[in-house]
Amino acid sequence: MQNMFNKAIWEPPFIQPHKIGEINKFGRRAAKDNICDTVFGVPVKLLVEKYGSPVFVTSEKQIRENVRRVKRAFERRYGNVIHGWSYKTNYTSAICNIMHQEGSWAEVVSEFEYEKARLLGVPGERIIFNGPNKSKAILERAIAEGARIHVDHLEELHTIESIAIARGSVVPVTLRLNFDTGYTEPWSRFGFNIESGQAYLAAKLVALSPHLKLTGLHSHIGTFILEPRAYAEQVRIMCKFMRELEGNENIQIESLDIGGGFPSNNALKGVYLPPEQSIPAISDYVNAVTSALMEGTQYRRESNRPLPQLIFESGRAMVDDAQMLLTSVVGTKRLADGRRACVLDGGANLLFTSYWYNHLIKLTSEIDGPVEETVLYGPLCMNIDVVRHSIHLPPLKHGDILAVHCVGAYNNTQWMQFIEYRPNVVLVHEDGESSIIRKAEDLSVMTQQDCLPSHLQIPFLDIGRNGRINKIASVGQIEAVS
Amino acid sequence: MEDATVSSPCRPERLQKLAVSDTGFVFDPQTGQSFTLNSTGLMSLNLLKKGTTVENTAACLAREYGVSVEVASSSLEAFLVQFGRYL
Repeated sequence: MQNMFNKAIWEPPFIQPHKIGEINKFGRRAAKDNICDTVFGVPVKLLVEKYGSPVFVTSEKQIRENVRRVKRAFERRYGNVIHGWSYKTNYTSAICNIMHQEGSWAEVVSEFEYEKARLLGVPGERIIFNGPNKSKAILERAIAEGARIHVDHLEELHTIESIAIARGSVVPVTLRLNFDTGYTEPWSRFGFNIESGQAYLAAKLVALSPHLKLTGLHSHIGTFILEPRAYAEQVRIMCKFMRELEGNENIQIESLDIGGGFPSNNALKGVYLPPEQSIPAISDYVNAVTSALMEGTQYRRESNRPLPQLIFESGRAMVDDAQMLLTSVVGTKRLADGRRACVLDGGANLLFTSYWYNHLIKLTSEIDGPVEETVLYGPLCMNIDVVRHSIHLPPLKHGDILAVHCVGAYNNTQWMQFIEYRPNVVLVHEDGESSIIRKAEDLSVMTQQDCLPSHLQIPFLDIGRNGRINKIASVGQIEAVS
Repeated sequence: MEDATVSSPCRPERLQKLAVSDTGFVFDPQTGQSFTLNSTGLMSLNLLKKGTTVENTAACLAREYGVSVEVASSSLEAFLVQFGRYL
């Protein structure tokens, strides 16, 4: 390779020792296994030519298969099950509608998400409204439209009651609970705590109000939970609380919502084993939940009362492996410590999850040369913009494309609009055709919310909007030079 | 060409024993260890094996790659320290 002066491109001299047979917890992957030249059946080159780089590529088929598989597993074991599609995981409209076409309700956590679900045509009664910040206005709308309101705190409960009084109706509510399962870090900031008696007090308040009706219990014990027994314990605690309430108060719980938190096939940083060994099968979670539920609702069956509806709000497990990011090398360098490094056109701005996952990254074409430890940086002028701190790759060059796997969860919602335009998000349809489901941003997107006061309409007082140099009499008094 | 100087942390007789391919593959028959060199590393090792001084090797690198002698010298020095750890 030559530079503009017809000299070979300079790189400090470097020697890489070969570490044949060294202890490696994952073993050494054969180079050809590491090549992914098609994404969801479409050639990578074609996708990048058509939609640019970087680009998110999503598989409709994979999403539908994921949802069907998990739902079937629950329905086979329990029957009365609803999946609430967690909008915050990926609220790209097309993805939400795939979920809804599969029968999933919308699980939303904010005014924006509620409005988005309604905009997409989701009826209020198929919306589960979670989240700690619901304004009175959005609660009024959600109650009027029949959404399921999950109450996070007492102030919200009072607001709901005041709305119910104003409407002259009885509003059904679900209480969000928190408690210690012994397996995961308790998320005590959300909902009402069982151990301290706060949850019982909240339930009692609902029971005493003629304008409210407690119909559901909800909890979410955490995220990316690798221990199915945590869910069994969660369900046991919720069922015990339900039975206690039903025994002492005039309450009939109609639904138990276990939240989400099922893991995807991603590699969490700090977890020793690779995902295929560390992540339990989804059926293990389903078994844990439904076995505990059958046990915990035995008292209902004994008295011939209906079983509560089971709601789960899985997001990551449904969509993570249904999306990849194609990103191109824009520069290479040798770091001062000798490691090879590459700069990519997609970084932490697009892959928020790279802060906690070691994403599986594959080459999209064969590349000759010795495999070396490489650092993958993104395009931001931030030192923390690192896609992978250490990955073994052959020498990449400008234009080489990498495929980052399992990026469907929390990237299209948590991505950063910092200094780069966000790229196209593409859907590969079930018939293999592809189309854009979220257009790449441009300058108009980035500036459409800006407002310029009249005295700040021009950047330099001596240059007008037409680009001509003006004569300045004094600040604010400008005359164009003819 | 002049003799390799003692300023290199790599002993000249050890450098002579190394088998170096045109593509930068290096085999050290004394330890059985093998290495890969990048293009500047390969050029440096070939020159040093021929007995070129460190200073002249740095000058050749600077000429070939269009960088200053100071940059080439400091990089070569770091390279030789790294290489010296393996020989």
